[in-house]
Amino acid sequence: AGPLDAPGYAKAFSCSACHGFAGASAADTVPVLAGMPSWYLKKAIQDYASGKRPAAEMESYSKMVLELGVDDVAAYFAGQKKQPTPVKADPAAVARGKAASTQCVVCHGPEGKGDPAKGIPDLTGQPPGYLKNQMLLFKADRRSPGDETLKALKALMRTIPDEAFGDLAAYYSSLR
Amino acid sequence: ATAIGPKTGRRVVVIGGGWGGATAAKYVRLADPSIEVILLEPNKEFVSCPFSNLVLSGVKSLESMTFDYSGLRRHGVKIVHQAATAIEPDKKRVRVGDDAIEYDRLVVSPGIDFLWEQVEGLPAAKDTVLHAWKAGPQTVALARQLQSMADGGVVVMSVPPVAYRCPPGPYERACQIAWYLKTSKPRSKLIVLDANKNIVSKTGLFQAAWKAYPNLEYRPANRVEKIDTSTREVTTEIGDKVKYDVINLIPPQRAGAIAVQAGLVGADKRWCEVNHVTYESVKHKGIHVIGDSTIGLPVPKSGTIANAMGKICASAVVHLLNGKEPPQMPPVNVCYSWVSNREAIAVINAYRIAQGKVVMIEQKLTSQTVAVAQNSEGWARSIWNDILG
Ligand SMILES: Cc1cc2nc3c(=O)[nH]c(=O)nc-3n(C[C@H](O)[C@H](O)[C@H](O)COP(=O)(O)OP(=O)(O)OC[C@H]3O[C@@H](n4cnc5c(N)ncnc54)[C@H](O)[C@@H]3O)c2cc1C
Ligand code: HEC
Ligand code: HEC
Repeated sequence: AGPLDAPGYAKAFSCSACHGFAGASAADTVPVLAGMPSWYLKKAIQDYASGKRPAAEMESYSKMVLELGVDDVAAYFAGQKKQPTPVKADPAAVARGKAASTQCVVCHGPEGKGDPAKGIPDLTGQPPGYLKNQMLLFKADRRSPGDETLKALKALMRTIPDEAFGDLAAYYSSLR
Repeated sequence: ATAIGPKTGRRVVVIGGGWGGATAAKYVRLADPSIEVILLEPNKEFVSCPFSNLVLSGVKSLESMTFDYSGLRRHGVKIVHQAATAIEPDKKRVRVGDDAIEYDRLVVSPGIDFLWEQVEGLPAAKDTVLHAWKAGPQTVALARQLQSMADGGVVVMSVPPVAYRCPPGPYERACQIAWYLKTSKPRSKLIVLDANKNIVSKTGLFQAAWKAYPNLEYRPANRVEKIDTSTREVTTEIGDKVKYDVINLIPPQRAGAIAVQAGLVGADKRWCEVNHVTYESVKHKGIHVIGDSTIGLPVPKSGTIANAMGKICASAVVHLLNGKEPPQMPPVNVCYSWVSNREAIAVINAYRIAQGKVVMIEQKLTSQTVAVAQNSEGWARSIWNDILG
């Protein structure tokens, strides 16, 4: 079967305009979808569509995905081989980020792979610009504002100076 | 001669290697490599219109948005760098000069051409009065004209009446020129003569962005009717006479000439009506039209839409050639506009297909931020790769 024969392709084809072919984003601020676990992609789409996670680019497309069938779209991306970001991180920043990441291990795990059972996403191989933007959004309570389950995460982000986010982002983006 | 032999197996011919056509050519090969794909495109390089307004302000170079076609060749697309000169729907072939190339299905994505004769004096002056509405040499030439203009000079640009390529594009250009003048020629000004009653797209966002540009004078409902290059003056529909030092006249538009010539346009003689699921022309069976040349879908004439149509049409063409029913695939749209050297705004549209027609689910606007500009760079990188990589 060819690259377009995967079930779900016809519902997920339009995402490549921003997320790259089959979700292999090469862009710094647009996340990689290739290989994303379906539970997390589904949650993200639901949060965008309901307006809980405000993001102008994603809200309308998420409504479209819900109409088309989010399970098929999630299965399509989960079925793609994960393609870590090609954006290169500065080794010094990666080292600093690694040192600072001890505070994240309790949730995201020692390798940054997250924990589906607790609703914690895999951070590895995501583009650094995207990871940094999300940390800034958490800190300012602009990603899922008011969400009780994210209180601890946001409290932690508020203790971290903005400059350190670049290092943490570099570290997690460099993990495979 | 084109070096293309007679058809042996199944063959798709694509006219135009821009945003729609290059995407369609690549995706037919991805969907079914047993189908031969021939792409006709006179230009040796692909130059992106999106981002080309940033060349006028010197924020980006034209080289940074210029690409070759080697990626498509790697997918097995056969590229002929010549223009299609005629379409013969009955014989299912495309003429390239004396050659005739047969097809099983034809995809036409020739972009836009200009209605020069709608502005008096323009047909004779069209080589010196720049539109820069097809990115390339004209973009660079217009940037040079702006650079060599004396401080205190007046730049005049005109916005054509709808429908035209890229609804927010002229207003993004106004921002870029105004930003350039503000930073490099503080005593100069920009006059925007708009044929439309108001800013056509992202109205409130552009109005807000223009607060930073007191050097920008916007005159709506002021269609340019005449140009006189000897007195360096344009005349508008309400009789205003406006002197310029640099002119950027964006003429009224219609579908690419080949689509008009092949009778793919409707009664308006300007745009092509198509099926919303397959993009097959309502005029000729076996011929599909995509991109800016189309009309009738509630979508803008944008690169994002042309890319989406390319993918959808490729899928439909392959399904039809394989005797299967094409899937219903709604397009998506995003149009980013840079309002300064570092901030951008965006309009986002999502669609569904209902009773065989594309219908808009909703439209969203972003605010003006650096983050949106970063995302637009991400979009450009991803979509250029989606078209050509
Ligand atoms: C200044 C500017 C800014 C823009 N910004 C954006 C933006 O930010 N986002 C966005 O989404 N869109 C933007 N657009 C719009 C976008 O460029 C167009 O919508 C898009 O290029 C349309 O794709 P197309 O395939 O219809 O035409 P094109 O991309 O123009 O491709 C048509 C191709 O057909 C070829 N051709 C024509 N006739 C023939 C023939 N007879 N034989 C063979 N080949 C032929 C041409 O050489 C050309 O390469 C912008 C446009 C402009 C002018
Ligand atoms: C116009 C560009 C664009 C298009 C098209 C687009 N996206 Fe996105 N997507 C983005 C951006 C930008 C973000 C980051 C938004 C944020 O800050 O939360 C994003 C984020 C996401 C996320 C969140 C990932 C994470 O790690 O939390 C998912 C899931 C997603 N997109 C899925 C999709 C799907 C599925 C499609 C197609 C149906 C799609 N996107 C189309 C730009 C786009
Ligand atoms: C208390 C648990 C917890 C801790 C500690 C924690 N996180 Fe998270 N993190 C989460 C959860 C839960 C999410 C998913 C939020 C959602 O679904 O919107 C998340 C999401 C993220 C995301 C967004 C991922 C994406 O794909 O959009 C980033 C980036 C992130 N965390 C970085 C960090 C960093 C860096 C640290 C340490 C400095 C950290 N987190 C510490 C629980 C935690």
